[in-house]
Amino acid sequence: MGWQKGNLAICLGLIWLSLGQVSPPANDQRAREIVDRAARLFLSKSSIATMEMQITNQEVQRKISMQFWSIGESNILIRITRPQQDAGTAILKVGNKSWYYLPKANRTVEIRSSMMMSSWMGSNFTLDDLVKQSRLTDDYVIMATFEGQRDGIAVSEYTLTPKPTAAVVWGKITLEVRQSDRMPVRQRYYDENGKLVRGLTFSEYKIVSGRPVPTRLVMQSMDKSGNKAVEETTIKYEKIIFDQPISEDIFSLKNLKQ
Amino acid sequence: MSGRLLWLAWRNLWRNPRRTLIAMTAIGFGYTMLLFVACLMAGLRQQMIESGTGLLLSDVEVHAPSYYPDRPSHLTLGGRNGTDASALLATITADPRVQAASSRVYGYGLVSATHQSVGTQLLGVVPDQEQKITVLQTQMVKGDYLTGKMPKGAVMGDKLASTIGVEVGSEIVLLAPAVDGSTGNDLYTVTGMFHTGLDSMDRGLVLISLASLQELLRLPPGRIHEVGIKLHEDDITATMTAAGALEVQLSKVLPVRVRGWPELAPELADYVQFNRRVTFILFFIFFLLAVMGIVNTMLMAIAERTRELGMLMAVGMRRVQVVGLIVAEAASLVGASLVLGAALGFPLLWYLQVHGLSLGGNRGAITLGGVVVGPLWHGQQDFTAYTQAAAGLAVTALVSALYPALRAARLRPAEALRKV
Amino acid sequence: MIGVLLLVKIGWRNLWRNPRGTLLTALALGLGLTLLLISLCLLDGSHEQMVDNAVRFGPGHVVIQAHGYQDSASAELLLPAGVVSTTEEFLHTEASKHGLRGMSPRLLASGLLSSAANASGVSMMGVIPKQERAVSLIPQRIVEGNYLNDDQQSGVVIGTELARKLEVKVGAKVVLMTQAVQPIGTEESDAGGGEMQSTLLRVSGIFRTGIQAIDAHIIQLPLPEAQALLGVPGRVTQVAVLLDREGDSLMVARDLQNQLTGAPVEILPWRESMPTLAQSFLLDEAFNYVMNGVVLAMVGLGILNTILMRVIERRFEFGLCLALGLRPVQLAVMIIGESLALTAISLTLGLVLGLSAQHYFATAGLDLRWFFESSLPSALVFDPIIYSRLSLVRIASSIGIVFLTATIISFYPAIKAARTELPDALKVF
Repeated sequence: MGWQKGNLAICLGLIWLSLGQVSPPANDQRAREIVDRAARLFLSKSSIATMEMQITNQEVQRKISMQFWSIGESNILIRITRPQQDAGTAILKVGNKSWYYLPKANRTVEIRSSMMMSSWMGSNFTLDDLVKQSRLTDDYVIMATFEGQRDGIAVSEYTLTPKPTAAVVWGKITLEVRQSDRMPVRQRYYDENGKLVRGLTFSEYKIVSGRPVPTRLVMQSMDKSGNKAVEETTIKYEKIIFDQPISEDIFSLKNLKQ
Repeated sequence: MSGRLLWLAWRNLWRNPRRTLIAMTAIGFGYTMLLFVACLMAGLRQQMIESGTGLLLSDVEVHAPSYYPDRPSHLTLGGRNGTDASALLATITADPRVQAASSRVYGYGLVSATHQSVGTQLLGVVPDQEQKITVLQTQMVKGDYLTGKMPKGAVMGDKLASTIGVEVGSEIVLLAPAVDGSTGNDLYTVTGMFHTGLDSMDRGLVLISLASLQELLRLPPGRIHEVGIKLHEDDITATMTAAGALEVQLSKVLPVRVRGWPELAPELADYVQFNRRVTFILFFIFFLLAVMGIVNTMLMAIAERTRELGMLMAVGMRRVQVVGLIVAEAASLVGASLVLGAALGFPLLWYLQVHGLSLGGNRGAITLGGVVVGPLWHGQQDFTAYTQAAAGLAVTALVSALYPALRAARLRPAEALRKV
Repeated sequence: MIGVLLLVKIGWRNLWRNPRGTLLTALALGLGLTLLLISLCLLDGSHEQMVDNAVRFGPGHVVIQAHGYQDSASAELLLPAGVVSTTEEFLHTEASKHGLRGMSPRLLASGLLSSAANASGVSMMGVIPKQERAVSLIPQRIVEGNYLNDDQQSGVVIGTELARKLEVKVGAKVVLMTQAVQPIGTEESDAGGGEMQSTLLRVSGIFRTGIQAIDAHIIQLPLPEAQALLGVPGRVTQVAVLLDREGDSLMVARDLQNQLTGAPVEILPWRESMPTLAQSFLLDEAFNYVMNGVVLAMVGLGILNTILMRVIERRFEFGLCLALGLRPVQLAVMIIGESLALTAISLTLGLVLGLSAQHYFATAGLDLRWFFESSLPSALVFDPIIYSRLSLVRIASSIGIVFLTATIISFYPAIKAARTELPDALKVF
């Protein structure tokens, strides 16, 4: 489970990136724009971040601190800084290939993308959300479904329904954004039977590199009834910088080993 | 009266020694053949079972409830607190049905040498214990099996070794999700490679010591996933009974689910059952053949003695006694034949069990699921089958003597005497 | 001077002096042959069936795949284009000769199947439903929903274990993700090698084979869909061939080899593509062999017994013949003639009965369930009904052996009879 959680950051980042690829249906242009913007929050030419991830499930509670670099969607580097036993472990993704660096063994291990996927079995995130890229442009139909107060905040809710041939496992996804600044508040994933499978909450909004972003994300996986969370992952961004020029050299195996 | 009848019957048999001996040989040899077949069939079943369970499965496996078949790493025996493995093993081996038991830890992860990584199953064993329940150590093609001396030694399938490009002595990295969510990783040295012929093992299994897998998975020493058990008798019924009994017994100590190999490998059980049924049919056919021989013999023998029987009745023997006499003769004949058959058979059976039947010259060692089976086919004693066959033959002989005996008894002595 | 022919004629007439006795004896012996036939054919049938069952979960009796696939199982090793059509043509023109039951081209790869609840690694098989149905057993083990339709563009069948893990039912959405394949031997140009591709599938049906490895990992989807996903239109990994008789495997493999010389393929009969299976069946074959021997021995014994008994009971008659001037040699010949005639009648009876029984078992089959209850948590991987198999070679050789045995065996009593000592034999009591 370690590498699944360790790659959560990639997942999160890319989910947001992928959501951003939603293409406009003829209806509800405005809704699409809003969702698009919300989805592109973390999309940038480049990003550098320090984050802390806390995982709670029935077995264990764990906290990991890591550093994150990315260029677009294709180059990603993550290095774990805490806890001590995992410090130095790093994950590199360049294009279609991924590698793991293991400080204890002082080895780099190439993970075939399919291996990387299979490691995420049972994780909070399903892979089909992930490596979507161009395929996602046609995946959802977006409609505004609610305007009003929820938990004391004025929000607009949008419902995303997958198109019939879209390669996604969800029955529907709902996204709530703040009416004031269009910041996402809550995102929920439902299966085809209408059961809530997972929910993502956003909070602690800050201005970073000139744009507002939520710096605290909590992803919960629900149990079979859809009512109780059985697994929860919290990501806190301690620091993010967007669009600062990053050297491509960072995304190399040599760099990985440091 | 019946005592005298039996004595008379016995003496009658020997009045015509040649005929009696021929009949005895026929029946006796038929019985020997049945013994031979039963022995071979039992041996075949035994070997099939060994072949399916000998490499990895073992006869019975003990797990925490819900552990099997998904095998999530955190579901260890005794839950998060684990259990006293040696006490558990002691309890298990105390059962007279159990031959040996061994603790095991399972994981699933990646193995890598240079940079290419391959998904593999990881099995942590205690070499001394494990070798008592399975025979993987006999399948080594290069290097050696795990020993206590090299704590970070690893043994893998030959196909896996060639896929990642390692030899004996190479260093490998094992990567696996630990139970606390972190990524367990460590370096190991390849001490040996095995070849079983089973792709799932040759391509996807790495064995390391139990302690080092626990370390990799961040499991404390008391936490194991499974106890593998080898039984003295592992046919389907014996195994399922033992598994059930063990589950009842062990449940008093900690929550467990105990499964026998027929549950773990239903296709093997199916195969054994299928084979057993087919051979039963064959046995039945052989039995019929033997029986026909007996019936034929009896019919002819009695038909030829119509005159003699008529004479007995003419001098005062009652019909009931005539029938009784014939039945008694048949009984003695069959009894003597079975003894003869058994006498001929037992050395043969002994030979089959100890030496085995050669399966045909040019074949080298034949391995069946990793267990060396050929080129000899060993028999196994199946006393139930032996007694059943004997009983069946005896009953048939008696019944087949009854019909003509009754017929003869119904004749009028005068007519019977006239037959030539 | 009595000629041999006359002796034999007399022998024949001897038989009919006691028609009931003779017929009974012939029946008894004939039944022996009947049982011999039945057991041999059932054994053949069950063996055939065991092999059948096993190969139908895998690569069939003969498999054609790219050279080196057996060793590496690499998704990039695909059959060269054109091999499939050549094979198909060849097999169909030779169909009757080879007893072809079916051939199925398949595209194999591994991937990840996800549902809303979970995800699992799978081995995917792109198949043509109609052809796969003739070869594989998976289409016959559907427990929920339906197998793939011939005209279905998209869909997937998965095993019960996988369905349980992914928490899906028939009709549910699943997404299959896999890596596009760059087939070895193609140019770089447009091969999308390495890129992750995914596609939406709806579960058409759920199967249960009883074999954990299959029920938890194998999925089947329409071939064109698989090819599109992997980016290899028109290509397949292997062609599985299923025959009527497993005994033809080697021959068909060789013929195919001749047909496809020069192509970088490996054509493997099942013993090579599934070596562990071959080992298991070695024991089974040895078993058959031994059983054949035992049955023959018992039948031979029956014959010996019968003939000996007949001879012993007729001492008086033989004594009389000899006293009346028949030479011992002639007596011997007569007895041999009788025995052979008796054997001939028995064989005919036995053959008639045996062949009808065989026909019954070949069509209706022998349902093993009559004899046993299934007390296991059973997979019923094996069909509980055995079908008998007729092999002309086997029958002819059995008859031959029985006849030969009878002939040889009848020498002993014939000689014994010839040596009957005269005055003793004539004693009535």
